[in-house]
Amino acid sequence: MMYLIAAYGITIGTLAFYLSVLLRERRRLSRDARRSG
Amino acid sequence: MQATAQEAGSRRARAAAGLETGLARIRRPFGWLLLALVASYAWLVVGAPIDSVQGVIQKILYVHPPLAYGAYLGFVLTAVGGVLYLRSNREIYDQLAVAGAEVGVVFCTLMMVTGPIWAKGTWGHWWSWDPRLTLTLLLWFVYLSYLLLRGFTEGGARTARFASVYGIVGTLLIPLNYFVIDLFQGRTMHPANLARGSLGSGMGMPFLVANLTLFAAFVYLVLLRWEVEFWRARSLEDDALEAEEFGAR
Repeated sequence: MMYLIAAYGITIGTLAFYLSVLLRERRRLSRDARRSG
Repeated sequence: MQATAQEAGSRRARAAAGLETGLARIRRPFGWLLLALVASYAWLVVGAPIDSVQGVIQKILYVHPPLAYGAYLGFVLTAVGGVLYLRSNREIYDQLAVAGAEVGVVFCTLMMVTGPIWAKGTWGHWWSWDPRLTLTLLLWFVYLSYLLLRGFTEGGARTARFASVYGIVGTLLIPLNYFVIDLFQGRTMHPANLARGSLGSGMGMPFLVANLTLFAAFVYLVLLRWEVEFWRARSLEDDALEAEEFGAR
């Protein structure tokens, strides 16, 4: 059971973290682009 | 002269805004689809039958192969982006290639983490130098090198052309990786590829939904990563334009 939880936990955690990094980066870049016109 | 540069700049900005809106418009429905699928995925995995031989650990089946398909798909997208870039020289296709490679590497890494966890629970050890596992490690290194190549070089058309060829050649490993078990006529530690009817009773639907969920996650992440790459290129262009204007003054 521990192995199963580890496999799903690592997968979901990593994908969620990657998604949050991309969303933050996208927001930052589009904000900078708008600011510079 | 300055007016022409400004016109070109505003034309670029208009085209960029249109493209960005288009990508975001395609991405959003996948986000909603993903949210809907995640709930049914969780419900189906919890309720899926427990394998009589492996026990509960066999439920890694609902995450490990879908991650592998996502990795393959990411690397195929890199090749498709590469081919389109070499044909048209349009930067947007090179950006797609980068997005496919990065999301592919994320999926491949997770596949290479969930696989050994499953192996430890069933074979008793984390790793074996089995042909499928060894080729998967090689595939991972090939695309990690692709990302390092992109990250450690200054960019530009020459890097993009080289990376396109590298990405196209790299895909040759995918069919080899998939069919290596057949080539070794099943004499491998890794189980044979899934075929119609090879899943136990009641496992088909959770497996299907697992594939759909991770596919939706894959598409969403690729589109988002594509947007990020696109904005990064635009930000670099703006910096270059500013430097040019500053130099002209």
